[in-house]
Amino acid sequence: MIELQDALRRKEIWAVGGGKGGIGKSLITGNIGISLARLKKKVLLVDADLGGANLHTTLGIGVPEMTLSDFLSRRVENIQDVIIQSEIKNLSLISGAQDFLDAANPNFSQKTRLLRHLETVDADYILLDLGAGTSYNILDFFLFSDQGILVVLPEPTAIENAYRFIKSAFYRRFKKVVTHQGIKDLIDAAMDQKNTMGIRTPYDLIERVKLMEREVGEILELEITKFRPKLIVNQVRTKGDIQIGFSIKSACNKYFGINLEYLGYVEYDDSVWQSIRSKRPLAVEYPYSRPARCIERIVHNLLRKEQLTLSTLY
Amino acid sequence: MVKKIEDLNYYELLEIDPRASTQEVYRAYDRIKKVYEPNSVALYSLFSPEETAILRQRIEEAYRTLINDPKRKEYDMVLRELRELPEPEPEAQRMPTYQPPPVQQRPVVVRKPAEREPFLGNETRPQPAPSAPPPQQAEVPVPEQPRPAPLTITEFTGTAIRAVRENAGLSIRDVAGITKISERYLGYIEKEEFKKLPARAYLKGFLPQYAKAIGLDPERMTGDYLRRYDAAMER
Ligand SMILES: Nc1ncnc2c1ncn2[C@@H]1O[C@H](COP(=O)(O)OP(=O)(O)OP(=O)(O)O)[C@@H](O)[C@H]1O
Ligand SMILES: [Mg+2]
Repeated sequence: MIELQDALRRKEIWAVGGGKGGIGKSLITGNIGISLARLKKKVLLVDADLGGANLHTTLGIGVPEMTLSDFLSRRVENIQDVIIQSEIKNLSLISGAQDFLDAANPNFSQKTRLLRHLETVDADYILLDLGAGTSYNILDFFLFSDQGILVVLPEPTAIENAYRFIKSAFYRRFKKVVTHQGIKDLIDAAMDQKNTMGIRTPYDLIERVKLMEREVGEILELEITKFRPKLIVNQVRTKGDIQIGFSIKSACNKYFGINLEYLGYVEYDDSVWQSIRSKRPLAVEYPYSRPARCIERIVHNLLRKEQLTLSTLY
Repeated sequence: MVKKIEDLNYYELLEIDPRASTQEVYRAYDRIKKVYEPNSVALYSLFSPEETAILRQRIEEAYRTLINDPKRKEYDMVLRELRELPEPEPEAQRMPTYQPPPVQQRPVVVRKPAEREPFLGNETRPQPAPSAPPPQQAEVPVPEQPRPAPLTITEFTGTAIRAVRENAGLSIRDVAGITKISERYLGYIEKEEFKKLPARAYLKGFLPQYAKAIGLDPERMTGDYLRRYDAAMER
């Protein structure tokens, strides 16, 4: 029993999201997984992109026979039955739903069943590749994980989506900790940026909540400090692009009051699409390429619970 | 805990520790200023242009206060009143002879406009009377306006640079602390003692640093100054 508890405590779930499609979430999840596996960690990758699963592609695995949808629809009972061993030692995969349209929207009991089963898997790290968007499912997986990682590109649309993602995630978190229906409604209303109540920032929201119930407002304040998403800037071409990560960190701190951790960046490089074209993982095909090494550095930061410091810019 | 942007103190605004050195204040300012530039992509969809403008103005205020020793001491005292800063204890050991903020230094500043005028009036085109109000004498931390180079300057001569520096409430020593350029060289730059300055390549490195520290456009100031330097050295 004690052993089992140890095993549970040891396991970490990391989720990778970002709001926008096609920004490298799967690329980064897959290759973080490979890096960890090479460090002799047992890794399970889960393609939780229930809309357009393609994590297997970044790993160079063909369309798998068993997928998450088989588990969600109870065609199989045990999570073990949908886990595929990859060619890389210590790395296995649960492929994403391909055919099961309803899977894009699993209900609460399906989600809890999945999470309950994931807890029993023998792995050091479980990496969730979340799809694009800010649907409740994506947000819930993000909030549930031990480390929520956001991927962003150094361009306005991706950044805008990342901010929307952050805001949605922690307003959802707010809603989970309050029971008062009036406050829940207020949070919903505040989600709309153009709300008529003059609530622009989380600060405004908390002030308003405090007027209704002071204690609840204070609980929400505490929630803000506990919410520490991580950031990766992908497709970096210049020093200025790297700088954008620090700027986003600063803006998040001033606007949301949250402490975003800047994990690192991944350089833009042709090796990425070359590896995808050759249907082999980047870290296997081009282990010494710049993006592969960037991802390794990110893994080191994650393991040591460190982040990028400004000195990298000088 | 969670604070409205308007309520962030100067240290929080510049994202530095209250014990940050002058050099660190400067570096943080230089960085944060870029983050909150009007077209900064990282602000997209988060801050409105008006909010960004207000933030920028506050960042300027923060910098001008924290870079200036007496002003910073005064500001720290206010923060301590508000309980935003802990009481300093180890300080006492480092500075056995504690002295109250040297408010008395202020009158020196008051003399400046008179000194400055002849030089600034010394321009080719006719200039309007210096429009900048005389520097404040009061001890109250009146936020200075974000300060474009005074309109009366058309060329960054050594004297003009000095005037801008003094207008910003910075001593040579402050600037030396920020830029790590020696006080001696800063003095030579201002006095245009070109022969005593190190080789041109070094000077070219010093000038943009100096410009940034006093809030001037580095390229313009360096260009102007080197032109005068080259002309003088040719003779
Ligand atoms: N660092 C990079 N350098 C070059 N190309 C890159 C880089 N990162 C991503 N790409 C390109 O972007 C494409 C999309 O990457 P990926 O499939 O990982 O994104 P995604 O966020 O998972 O997308 P989706 O939202 O569709 O799941 C890749 O096929 C690759 O061609
Ligand atoms: Mg994907």
